[in-house]
Amino acid sequence: MSGSYLARRFGSALFTIVLIILVNFILFRALPGSPERVILRGTPNVTPAQLEAARERWGLNDPVFPDQFVAFLGATVSGDLGYSFVARGQTVGQVLGQRIWPTVILFGLGELVAIVLGLALGAYSGWRRGGPVDVVGNGLSLVLYSTPYFLLGMALLLVFATGLRWFPTFGMLTAGADYPDIWARLGDFGAHLVLPLATVGLGLVGQYAIVMRSSIVETLSEDYVTTARGMGLREGRILRHHALPNALLPTVSLIAINLGYVVAGAITVEVVFNWPGLGTLAVEALTARDYPVLQGVFLLLSVSVVLANLVADLVYGVLDPRVRT
Amino acid sequence: MTAAGASWSPPIPAGRRAGRFDLLFRLIRRPEGAFGVLILATFAALALAPELFVGPLQTAVTAHGTRLSPPSAAFPLGTDELRRDMLNLTVHGARVSMAIGLLATLVTVFIGAVVGIVSGFVGGRVDAVLMRITDFFLVIPTFVLALILTPIIRDLVGSGSTEILGIRMTLIVIVIVIGITSWSSTARIIRSQTLSLKARAFVDRARVIGAGSGHIMRRHILPNVINLIVANAVLVFAGAVLTETTLSFVGLGDPFQPSWGQLLEAARSVGAPGLGAWWYFVPPGVCIVLVVFAFTLVGGALDDLLNPKRRGRG
Repeated sequence: MSGSYLARRFGSALFTIVLIILVNFILFRALPGSPERVILRGTPNVTPAQLEAARERWGLNDPVFPDQFVAFLGATVSGDLGYSFVARGQTVGQVLGQRIWPTVILFGLGELVAIVLGLALGAYSGWRRGGPVDVVGNGLSLVLYSTPYFLLGMALLLVFATGLRWFPTFGMLTAGADYPDIWARLGDFGAHLVLPLATVGLGLVGQYAIVMRSSIVETLSEDYVTTARGMGLREGRILRHHALPNALLPTVSLIAINLGYVVAGAITVEVVFNWPGLGTLAVEALTARDYPVLQGVFLLLSVSVVLANLVADLVYGVLDPRVRT
Repeated sequence: MTAAGASWSPPIPAGRRAGRFDLLFRLIRRPEGAFGVLILATFAALALAPELFVGPLQTAVTAHGTRLSPPSAAFPLGTDELRRDMLNLTVHGARVSMAIGLLATLVTVFIGAVVGIVSGFVGGRVDAVLMRITDFFLVIPTFVLALILTPIIRDLVGSGSTEILGIRMTLIVIVIVIGITSWSSTARIIRSQTLSLKARAFVDRARVIGAGSGHIMRRHILPNVINLIVANAVLVFAGAVLTETTLSFVGLGDPFQPSWGQLLEAARSVGAPGLGAWWYFVPPGVCIVLVVFAFTLVGGALDDLLNPKRRGRG
């Protein structure tokens, strides 16, 4: 992998992250009321002296650009995202820290399930184009692709939690439960995880299957596949050794590009199941107009997506020598 | 494509001479196109005149059912927690969802087309800056940005009961936010088409006879990318309906003009799935899936018919 390819990828990701911070910077200043009023929100009977002190303390008397922006950039990079308006005395970092793991577990596992199932389904239906799996799978994929995640979640909730009573309806652990050991706790967690995980998996599987199917169809029409057939190789071997490795390539970057949309779905799935992750946090912050927390969620999710795209670009560079220029 | 630039080629696709409805006929000749158009026509009728089908929008005051009752002869789709008829709400929801989707699509496609044409045609530093911004919007999770922008813009313009085109200000803000956050892929597509058009001879000829850049972009580039814009707009519409639904679902809708997403939000906050009240969220849910599905089908079919890169392959 050439140095300039690496440098360009890293440079572009860094630039995007600075832009994200710039958007946060502008948004905070676009809030109704002057910044010092926003900072002193909830403090009764603010005197002009207090206002002036706040302006001085927060550097609001300095020029907006570059002084204030550089200070903001520095604070953001060092992890200082300010204080939550609602959770008094807690920094945005602390609030985010409490909610990050449920989201990572739910979406990490959901992505994994969807990628494995989606790619397998897509590859098989593309290979047996026009067959029963292809026809049913393709139709189903399109319908799933058109369904908002939360709707899927509500349907699963209705059938499997309310109707059949197989799984609990909300939360991550049973409220007030006392666990004899770690395994009981883990079991309860697992029971709560099934439906949200199924929702995320089903929501994503359609897109991945569609992408993989068209990719494998395209690959199977390449000359080297015809050559392999001409050499008398068995179909299964052609699929596994010749078509699949190349067909997988475009899915790498598409999965990364899709992450931005997955995040939107993530938020709503968590809301449906009351899963205590970043999505429910975002909606709580939205309802309470807790802008620092909302901006923290935006920063965290955006930077994660940018970094995931960077990783995908690098992986792609390793897998496909043609893009390393 | 550049080789063809040497000989004169008609700047307007031949399809236009064959009549205005030619495209529609070609579209409904494909089974998926016909299916999509049929669904969309149905919902367009509901959206245009919901009063014709179910009377005026019911409110908590005019409602006359019982609370959260399952479907019956009097209420074929049951009632909500405010005793309102779900059939009435769902049909009126079509108007709100489709109107916001349409307006948001217009804003999105307008921004995307302007950025794409200017970026591709002017080139140089302008192109570099515009494409940087486009890439930024392509990669970040724009929905989360919309989540922050909506309440901030709403606070800035003030809520009140101002209406534009009969749509409340809260929903106009949603239209603007969807427009701001979803134009990037349109801009990319239009830009690449503009780049290949720019290299063709009729652009040079226009310049030689003294046409300015603005004139060439409006009169020579735009007519040649309009097909692409239309095909893209259909797909943008599907995305806009989904985004509006999701924003409403997290509590940014308007209870006084309930869209399908707003109904789903109400259903969730009442706990309809937990109460087994399926009739509360299945009707608006099915409508959303049908509309998005139909737009995706029609968009894909149009893309095959109109996109020069894909034409002849479909």
